[in-house]
Amino acid sequence: MKLTVNGEAYEAKRAETVTSLLEEMGFGGRAVVVVLNDEVIPAVSRDACGLREGDCIDLFRLVGGG
Amino acid sequence: MERQGNGQDDWIVGGRRFSSRLLMGTGKFQDSETMVGAVLASGAQIVTVALRRVGRVSREDDMLGPLHRLGGITLMPNTSGARNAAEAVRAARLGRELGGSPFVKVEIHPNPHHLMPDPIETFEAARVLAAEGFVVMPYMPADPVLARRLEDVGCASLMPLGSAIGSGGGLATAEMLRLIIRDARIPVIVDAGLRSPSEAAAALEMGCDAVLVNSAVAASGDPIAMAAAFAQAVVAGRNAHRAGIMPRGGGTALATSPLTEFISGEGT
Repeated sequence: MKLTVNGEAYEAKRAETVTSLLEEMGFGGRAVVVVLNDEVIPAVSRDACGLREGDCIDLFRLVGGG
Repeated sequence: MERQGNGQDDWIVGGRRFSSRLLMGTGKFQDSETMVGAVLASGAQIVTVALRRVGRVSREDDMLGPLHRLGGITLMPNTSGARNAAEAVRAARLGRELGGSPFVKVEIHPNPHHLMPDPIETFEAARVLAAEGFVVMPYMPADPVLARRLEDVGCASLMPLGSAIGSGGGLATAEMLRLIIRDARIPVIVDAGLRSPSEAAAALEMGCDAVLVNSAVAASGDPIAMAAAFAQAVVAGRNAHRAGIMPRGGGTALATSPLTEFISGEGT
């Protein structure tokens, strides 16, 4: 399935949900927030949130800052 | 006799009670261990963090991992990187998902050369976020008129700059800060520009409720020792403010010791 992740093309191998995409990309268990097609996906909704061809996903995390 | 600085001088922002009047930023540290050590040494209870897109390399250093495991710290995501109100509002919503607290430092500085906060976009973002229930702490120009407007739309505190971010220019805005402090009904926190603990002490002496530092600690020779020095300075400045600083002498000397002329013996 062809997706856009953080502005770059990404070919999902097996992922069908947000949770499985994070695991496939190596972000499972890390503190990231997911934006799917400009909509923030709460962490509790990731398992049930299915992906479709062409979806745009943005992933953010906290970093050091003043 | 009750001594000051014994924990009876808490301040409240966003419905939470804090004893430390030093807020810490977590940027610019060379490694996670130093950053966490500095936060601990500072005694800070409010710590700022930033929000960034995750890189494609999944094993990026997790600077903040150890911070999450410290107790008693309120993480306050900032909106740095936002160039306007709409981007800041979006960043705040994402930060709330990640930080787990409604505290947000609204920070909108579109010009990378001077990093001065945009007053109009800051006001608009603060208005929207306060209405959504965020605890809004705006980084702002030291402008008493804007301060009142931000207070009126529901900000939880005011965070005027002492001087430009990372400049170490100190309390260049002292005159305006005094006007803001005189009229504010919410906490005033000097954010940005402080270089040394004496400047933090001066801010507290003039009546600021707290200060926020980052570069002054992270870019110092020994960040952990400097964080501890800032903690002491903030306590000293606050206690001096509470004690009531003596008025200026107006250029006239006033003797401390009695000036009886016992040496010459005149008048005896």
